[in-house]
Amino acid sequence: MDKNFKDAINRRKFLKISALWTGGACIITIPGFTATPYRTLGRSEAEIMDALADAIIPPGEYAGGKDAWVTRFIDQQISSNGYLQHDHDLYKTCLPAMNNDSRGEFGTIFTELDENYQTEYLQAIEAGHYNSGAATRGWGNFTPSAFFNTMRNHCMMGYYGSPIHGGNRDYVSFRMISLF
Amino acid sequence: MANKHVNAIVVGSGAGGGVVAKELSYAGLSVVLFERGGWAKYDDHGDDELTAQRSFPLACFFGPDNERYRRVAVDRQGNKRIVYPNDWAYHNIAACVGSGTVSYGAMAWRFMEEDFTMKSTYGDVEGSTLEDWPITYADLEPYYEKAEWEIGVAGDDYQNPFAPWRNKPHPMPPFPHNREGKLLEEAAKKVGYHPFSIPMLRNSKEFDGRSACIHVLNCVGFACPVDAKNGTQNTVIPKAIETGNCELRIHSQVVKVLTDKSGRATGVEYFDKNDNKHVQTADIVILAASATETPRLLLNSATNLFPNGIGNRHDWVGRNLQGHAYCGADGLFEDETFDGTGPGASVAVCDFAHNNPGIKGGAMLANDFIKLPYAYTGTRPPGAARWGREHKDFQKNYFKRNASIRGPVQEMPNFESRVEVDPDVVDHWGMPVAKISGFKLDEDIRTAEFIADKAEKWLEAAGAYNIWKSIPGTGVSGGQHQAGTCRMGNDPQTSVTDKYGRIHDVDNLFIADGSLHVTNGSFNPVLTIMALGYWVSDYIVKEWKGGNRFR
Repeated sequence: MDKNFKDAINRRKFLKISALWTGGACIITIPGFTATPYRTLGRSEAEIMDALADAIIPPGEYAGGKDAWVTRFIDQQISSNGYLQHDHDLYKTCLPAMNNDSRGEFGTIFTELDENYQTEYLQAIEAGHYNSGAATRGWGNFTPSAFFNTMRNHCMMGYYGSPIHGGNRDYVSFRMISLF
Repeated sequence: MANKHVNAIVVGSGAGGGVVAKELSYAGLSVVLFERGGWAKYDDHGDDELTAQRSFPLACFFGPDNERYRRVAVDRQGNKRIVYPNDWAYHNIAACVGSGTVSYGAMAWRFMEEDFTMKSTYGDVEGSTLEDWPITYADLEPYYEKAEWEIGVAGDDYQNPFAPWRNKPHPMPPFPHNREGKLLEEAAKKVGYHPFSIPMLRNSKEFDGRSACIHVLNCVGFACPVDAKNGTQNTVIPKAIETGNCELRIHSQVVKVLTDKSGRATGVEYFDKNDNKHVQTADIVILAASATETPRLLLNSATNLFPNGIGNRHDWVGRNLQGHAYCGADGLFEDETFDGTGPGASVAVCDFAHNNPGIKGGAMLANDFIKLPYAYTGTRPPGAARWGREHKDFQKNYFKRNASIRGPVQEMPNFESRVEVDPDVVDHWGMPVAKISGFKLDEDIRTAEFIADKAEKWLEAAGAYNIWKSIPGTGVSGGQHQAGTCRMGNDPQTSVTDKYGRIHDVDNLFIADGSLHVTNGSFNPVLTIMALGYWVSDYIVKEWKGGNRFR
């Protein structure tokens, strides 16, 4: 327990510091080398996650999932010292699989679909229509609908939870519901 | 170095254990109070919903941790799954000084007279081990009073025509209602219910040197920022330590009750925070580790004399696990119900706790605590979008325009809902973990449907325009209201302890937690667990003062 307390505190301090450092900038460019501020997700994985976050919580009067740093929340939590580290492989496998699996039905990858088609595609995944034979389409041992449910829940945590965990940038969700 | 022998060991510093430690140390016994966790403070946790003890989707700040603890959950088909403390199927109870009494919602219910005589009131129920308690409300009444005055309750039972009789009023006046509470109070009267202000283990005025409640939103699931919520950690435990007779030993995981060749308890085996194994001996051992961990300790302490675990000669240890079959209704409103005054949950009715035609038992009904933003994403009418624009609009439009009415339906205990130990799965210290299996009876679901209708009617009267009911599933119950796994009784063949919480087979081994409950009432159980702590202690102290040294 004590160890956990310390971890939680250290983590919080670290997040505060890292928030200061990264500020609003999302990409640091060094000539010949492009890095992302993420610990676990690569550039293309982060882009897919951003698109998903915006599909789950779309932008409007208040920021969508992407601008609220939901991807940053998930990246931090599935990293080796995050609370959701057990879901690391789930994301690493399912993000690219999910992005590619729209080709058959929609003719292109998820991130390039229009919003309406993205919604239609995700509704089909949620309903389990892509579960059959998923392993042969890159989903490994994971079930598409189960991934969707977990990812949806994590988006809610990242958007509506405390910013100390990496999401809910500038308390956007609290402002949206006029909590303050 | 060996630990010094003491008069009494108390395992677990929650609602029951904290009380016992205070009572015994006041009577002059030397006491070691064991707690597997440490102190949980508001300043270390703040207002983080994702690790609070209400829904803990990321982790349980108040413990236990996911690294060292696990359990096995068995579903209705018999499939086993390893679960961690922040999984609902773990049925966790906070692991810190004060346990759940630090982070609870703090409703301070006395059970009603019928709650102690369920079998004689309702007769047999198919598939249930329903039984009367070996003690009555009258036996426990003075100890309820002691809990209310020593730990601190705000309330006024005279507003509630169904409240059981009492000798003394609550020590603090009841809490006023916020906007939602006032709306629901009026609505309840309109439909003929009898609303009143819920008794709370929370300060409506300064009490015992601690401040009055400041009505934050983050109350249930959190430690209080101004220490206005009363648990054992800020009342009886500090008082026990002040006597100089009680040592609180934190970060100490008790793994076994030790017994000698004659079958008497000699002490406990435990691991300190550095995982070093120790023995603490005592004249008396009192287990107050929760309705999951207390039976697990007994089962993990088997010897030649107790081959199936201590107190388990007749296979009753771990049986009859129950919580509450929570049901209710949610509603949406045109106008804001939210006025920023926390924590919500202030108005209740006891009209349906008993005496419901054709129903066995029932539940009190109360408005729910204000749901925090993440939790509110799970509150949607059937068929509503769980994500996308519709989800976001709903969250924005209704976060401040809703109300929930909930009722803890009293369950009919059943023998197959149980805690066992799983020899194939061990915890950080190599001890077999608790395995939880079972189900609710059809009777419980039928009662829940009846009670949810009453909640729906209440919300209609309040002007809600979209109302949906929630009925519990048939899975095993337990959670933070877990109870019943070492029931007290007069017949050693059908119970684990006598009416004073003493294990039938072992003269100097007692239980003082929710495990003792024969039935779990139509109410949140914590005040009853505190009262039982006083009841069990009173017996031990009287024996001790009469010269019984339990040796």
